[in-house]
Amino acid sequence: MSENPGPEGLPEDAGHRLAELRNLFTSDLSVNEFLLIKEAGFHPLGFVMGSSIYHTGIQARKWSKSQELTKLTGAMYNARELAMTRMEEEAQQLDADGVVGVRLDVNYYEWGNDSAEFIAMGTAVRAENGVSHRNKLGMPFTSDLSGQDFWTLMQTGYIPAGLVMGTCVYHIAHRGLAQTISSVGQNVELPNFTQALYEARELAMTRMQDEGGRLDAAGIVGVRLEEKSHQWGSHTIEFLALGTAVVRSDGELTLPKPTTIISLDH
Amino acid sequence: MDDPGARRREIRDGVRKLAAGGYLEGAERQGVTSDLTIDESLILHSIGWEPVELVCGASTYAVPPTLWNWGSGEITSASQAYQWAVRDAGQKLRAECLGVLGHGVVGVHFDVEFERHFVNAVLVGTAVSPVGDHHAPGVPFVSDLSGRDFALLHQAGWDPVGLAAGASFVYAPRRSARDAVRQTAQNVELTNYTEALYSARESAMERMQQTASQLGAHGVVGVSVSEGPMEFAAHAVRFAAWGTAVRRSERQPVLAPPVMVLDLDDERLAFDPTSLRAAR
Repeated sequence: MSENPGPEGLPEDAGHRLAELRNLFTSDLSVNEFLLIKEAGFHPLGFVMGSSIYHTGIQARKWSKSQELTKLTGAMYNARELAMTRMEEEAQQLDADGVVGVRLDVNYYEWGNDSAEFIAMGTAVRAENGVSHRNKLGMPFTSDLSGQDFWTLMQTGYIPAGLVMGTCVYHIAHRGLAQTISSVGQNVELPNFTQALYEARELAMTRMQDEGGRLDAAGIVGVRLEEKSHQWGSHTIEFLALGTAVVRSDGELTLPKPTTIISLDH
Repeated sequence: MDDPGARRREIRDGVRKLAAGGYLEGAERQGVTSDLTIDESLILHSIGWEPVELVCGASTYAVPPTLWNWGSGEITSASQAYQWAVRDAGQKLRAECLGVLGHGVVGVHFDVEFERHFVNAVLVGTAVSPVGDHHAPGVPFVSDLSGRDFALLHQAGWDPVGLAAGASFVYAPRRSARDAVRQTAQNVELTNYTEALYSARESAMERMQQTASQLGAHGVVGVSVSEGPMEFAAHAVRFAAWGTAVRRSERQPVLAPPVMVLDLDDERLAFDPTSLRAAR
């Protein structure tokens, strides 16, 4: 996407604690999720994390032009990619089959408006029967599905291949004076806004689908489309599409018929 | 209008009694105090346990004066104060639990306040014991799991053994003025912060794991983390991690396989999976 400065791999201190994780596991799963993951035939190995504190560059925007801000898009991609890769490396160090319950966050601290922490966390798991569930690239799968969703997905004969995302930072043009005046008092669509938002979403979704294609995914489930202005003012918006790419597993399909219930606790 | 002097004496006597553990003596006669919900009590009873008493442990440590914004490496005095405060609060909680013949404490609120000059750890939870068992065990367990989660784990053949926590405070060195100016318009990773956070995270998680290993645990579930710089120190990062250490028990697990259900309640048809994660 763009230049990739800074250290490639894990910072120096990473990995100490993982070396100690032999007879002990750590996990941020709730008890429900923990038991469901065990039920699905996986064992949690460790709480894995990757993070990067990233300084975003500056890009000039034209007041009256809708355009993608490629430098900012690049920064958002690059920083998330760093965090995700570091998390995957930690998972690989634990010899994991995958990471479930991944959360991707952006935190702003008191360090200034242009820098933010990008962090990815999740629980590394391994199949208890020794069958490898790694994805097509030979890496542990990642997934932002909760333990409940993971169990349900396994029941339907699919397994996660990877967390896929697409992002696009877009500057939406301001309306000109003549345009503003001509629409006062009228019911009209604002085509420039509509079009800009459409295009930005399309870009983000397409990029996410491309990532899914690279993993030979059968589909992407649990897609979320987030729109955030971060700290760029109201006309610059990041569109982030995020979902879990899934592939068919060889296992036999044992989809139980759901029982309908009406709960009495109101 | 009460006599203010009498009121003050009453409070003082109460505090003295509290310090001596006296208020807990008559607990059995007075009935049970607990912050468990009705559901949780019922579920506890279903596995043969019952709430005994609300217990608490608190500890405050002073943090020696430190230059919070200038330095390098770990701020050991702060990390130590945190560890000790949590450890002592846990010990007091255990002592109170033993005082009421509880076998463990569930639903512990893990509340640690960290300020520039002190760290304050408060643990409040409900002591529980098997129904009718009035013999105190050797070491009671402490767990921040809800009564419901405790029952689920118990049935699945796991026992909580204690609260595992670890924290670390690390300085994030400043960038040189030349770098700061040069990087203004660039997309670049701030390696000084990234490395400081990593260093803090590794030490904190390692300490949590060591605590769990010492307790003889096989794993830690429900780990929560709190990280980032502090309000009074933008150039130092804090990382704290805590969770419940669990151990496989010899009991035969009796977990019923999950059944897929479709909820027909109107309000809940809009199913939000993230709410399950949030409602720990």
